[in-house]
Amino acid sequence: MEWMIIANEPGKTYLMQGNEAIARGALEAGIRFAAAYPGSPSSEILAMLGHVAEKADIYAEWSTNETCALEACLGASFAKVRSLCIMKQNGVLTVGDALHSASLSGVRGGLVLVVADDPSAHSSTNEFDSRHQARAAAVPMLEPVNMQEAKDMVKWGYELSEQLQQLVMVRTVTRINHGRSSVTLGELPQEKPSPAVIGEWDRMVAINWFKDAQIAKLAQAQEIFEDSPFNWYKGPEDPDMIIVTCGTGWLYSSEAVESLGLKDTVGILKIGTTWPLPEKFIVKHLVKTKKVLVVEEVDPFLEQNIANIIAYHPELNIELSGRQGQKAIPRNGELNPDIVLNALTNLTGKTFARPETVVIPQEEAVALPPRELTFCAGCPHRASFFLLKQTLRIHEGQGVVMGDIGCYTMGGQRAGHFLYGFLCCMGGGINAAEGLGNLSRFGFDQPVVALAGDSTFFHSCLPGLVNAKYHDSNMLFVILDNSATAMTGFQPHPGIGLTAMGKAAEPVSIQKVVEAIGCQVTVADPFDIDGTTNTVYNLIKQPGLKVLILKQECATLAVRKREKPRVWVDQDLCRGDDCGCGRFCSRVWGCPGNIWDYEAGKAKIDEVVCVGCGVCATLCPAGAIKMEGGKADE
Amino acid sequence: MPGGMELKNEVLASSTCALCGACLDWCPYIANIEDHLVLRFDCNVPDGRCYAVCPRTFADWQAISKKYLPDAPENIEIGPYFKAYKVKAPIGIEGQQDGGTVSHLVKTLMEDQLAETVLLTGSDDHITPEPFLSSEISEIKKAAGSRFLASPGMRKLIEAQARNVKKFAVVGRPCQIQALRKLDYNRKPDTPAMDVISIGLFCMWSLGWDFKNYLQREFPGEEILSIAIPQHGFEVTTDKGIHEVPFEEVKKFIRKGCDYCLDMTSELADISVGAFEAEKGWNTVLIRSKKGQELFDKSVSRGFLIFEEYPEAELERLKGASIGKKMRGLSAAQEAFDRGVKPFVDLNSEMYTNVKKLAEGKVE
Repeated sequence: MEWMIIANEPGKTYLMQGNEAIARGALEAGIRFAAAYPGSPSSEILAMLGHVAEKADIYAEWSTNETCALEACLGASFAKVRSLCIMKQNGVLTVGDALHSASLSGVRGGLVLVVADDPSAHSSTNEFDSRHQARAAAVPMLEPVNMQEAKDMVKWGYELSEQLQQLVMVRTVTRINHGRSSVTLGELPQEKPSPAVIGEWDRMVAINWFKDAQIAKLAQAQEIFEDSPFNWYKGPEDPDMIIVTCGTGWLYSSEAVESLGLKDTVGILKIGTTWPLPEKFIVKHLVKTKKVLVVEEVDPFLEQNIANIIAYHPELNIELSGRQGQKAIPRNGELNPDIVLNALTNLTGKTFARPETVVIPQEEAVALPPRELTFCAGCPHRASFFLLKQTLRIHEGQGVVMGDIGCYTMGGQRAGHFLYGFLCCMGGGINAAEGLGNLSRFGFDQPVVALAGDSTFFHSCLPGLVNAKYHDSNMLFVILDNSATAMTGFQPHPGIGLTAMGKAAEPVSIQKVVEAIGCQVTVADPFDIDGTTNTVYNLIKQPGLKVLILKQECATLAVRKREKPRVWVDQDLCRGDDCGCGRFCSRVWGCPGNIWDYEAGKAKIDEVVCVGCGVCATLCPAGAIKMEGGKADE
Repeated sequence: MPGGMELKNEVLASSTCALCGACLDWCPYIANIEDHLVLRFDCNVPDGRCYAVCPRTFADWQAISKKYLPDAPENIEIGPYFKAYKVKAPIGIEGQQDGGTVSHLVKTLMEDQLAETVLLTGSDDHITPEPFLSSEISEIKKAAGSRFLASPGMRKLIEAQARNVKKFAVVGRPCQIQALRKLDYNRKPDTPAMDVISIGLFCMWSLGWDFKNYLQREFPGEEILSIAIPQHGFEVTTDKGIHEVPFEEVKKFIRKGCDYCLDMTSELADISVGAFEAEKGWNTVLIRSKKGQELFDKSVSRGFLIFEEYPEAELERLKGASIGKKMRGLSAAQEAFDRGVKPFVDLNSEMYTNVKKLAEGKVE
């Protein structure tokens, strides 16, 4: 719905996704520059800005990693251009040095950094609470409770940023990013300012001389936040309890108070400026009560900072509860209305008449089978993990595999035959492998294999590869090149040849980069199971650093470009359970396209799911899986 | 009959595998590169052909011997045989190891149509074994000479079956002939039998493929032309000359699975051939079945082979060597049994008790 974010219809209300609202807010603020690295739940924001870039007269890029994105925005800011930087919570850790330094140097053009947190880590390896980074880096942070506020906060963030000459962070969570609600549009600026001339004595320099200024900016932000319209109290004047909340917690708290009929005894103090906290504003309200429940996503950040305020204010006599205090709310995992409702019933003694549970008789119940995360049908990663696993088993040297972050992270589960034993952050695999490989001098002789996807390669593997090359670590670095940032939705990366704005660019060749570092590179096709198994076997036998690119396009992309071949099982040839293969295609190979025909007692292809890669046809010992038709690329 | 997982636990993980190759290519689970043979993914088949055919899973070996070699007098030291001969081919063949006997027996098989296809093992680089099926006399020379690296050649059996070969012949190591017999012995009644004649080779051990890397390290850049064990030590001929490799060095590369072997002379073959230790250029031949006798006779009558009576002293020496190998295998098997590996022979059978008794007198 990109048209909504550039619709010049002030006052008009649309149903908008949180990510759309954020993009709209930035456009209303007159940004001309946007940079991001994809990561759920933030990815749609830059994708949309990229699509409307030409019409909106802005520049948008998928940066190679989050640090590139933030520092690119700092560059734009130096020329007094307003910029938007977007990343997920893992990104704000990657970007730590840049963030802490930028906070010292300050900004010139307004810079808003949107960080999308992922409570319960639905699509992440951890649920890091990015508010800790805002506090640690002394950067003001705003936290919207709904899509309207998401838009308004981002827009206002630029005024704040330029007033303070400091970057401003906006923290959202999955339910804000991906949820939808009504958003009333504001005005889009008619004219966008051109970049300012950077004078000889203009500075944006990050050194500790500016620490006093940094502290002063934070104090100024706190003063501004004391009167911010994003903070408000709603409830009785002498409440038995106040719920202090931010983000989605506000919605759940409002619902719980309403459901329990506690409006006359429980008040809600909604905080939109989560760092620094408006201390006077909070004290003014908390002094009215003896009990406080803090409702917030991920860590007890608000709660601990309120405890901090209580410690300095003897007039407050409060029993504090939340994710930490009284263990009122579970310490771990995403909030939902039931969690808040339970916390409130426990603390107030008020009971809630839940609607009667309807129990479906067992014979009518449809049992949903438990499902694991797996690779898509035809995914080249399945073939890569299959052949790497078998090669390491054949080699009998107890190869150790270091995983990394991407679709192939799922290869640590059954989908990838539990291949890797180590997983850290993006780019962590190659570095850990470099260390392990250098233990060979002490007699460590197990083969060491590190994995990385193509997008991860550009994101954070280059220093690791240089390090491994320079120290000639005994390891095999496998780049699983599926020509896509598939996990987050096919955003282009430097190897693809396309920009966020849909323009062609000269792709950066992974092979040439690796060769330029001085590594010997082998390129192989993961779909050639036998051939590539031999290739990998010969590589792991060699000492020193070896690099292997397993190249095969992401099946989901490939199937859109080609006429797909038909793959089917000739059930006259399939020997069923008499084969001795033990249903190898559906049980071991495990592609969702390979299924078992229970009526015939034979293998079968789910032709709706199958994308026609044909690898299973090469694995069937009876030659019963057939492939016909189809056309190669374009 | 157990399946792949039992094969993995009892044989592959216990390092008793002889690398005969008979379990390969039946299914997608067992994989091989060089001398590694593993179960690449967990198998759920309860009744495995791999387990049934393996020479390192339990079998009543005496019953198998009786079934396939019913006519020759039993011999506890070198297996049943009618007659031992000192044999050679009067006209040699390029690259032959000793007397060229095996090459000429194979030639006879083909010329007299005793077999339409023969399983042979050649090598392109004079060291890496490459098993192949052949029906061409011109290809025999590719297989001349000995291969010292273990090769899972019996995998070609399936290829022969797929080609619907009616009359098949195998030239193989003792473990491979064992697998060949076991395959038929455990054959399900509904699968057709294959008419096979087997030429068994004498074998003390085979080497792991790391030996190849060792030679490359020792003689970098040199092209290996032949490897032989003349009388003592190991002789490697390269394009740069002849190198002696101390036997102590070579021994380090003997495959673990060979330690358990109880059969030096291919005791289940129709005809067994080895070196004649006392005189260079001659072979030892043991004839064990009527088929073996027929093949030998035809080869002699065609003039491919000439033979002499086998010297009594040399026969005693051969039996002593065989008993020595049996004793080493028995003690390795006993040791494996003690650490929980399921034995593949009945260690307490009368036969092995007699072997041990005999050993006291014969082995130095």
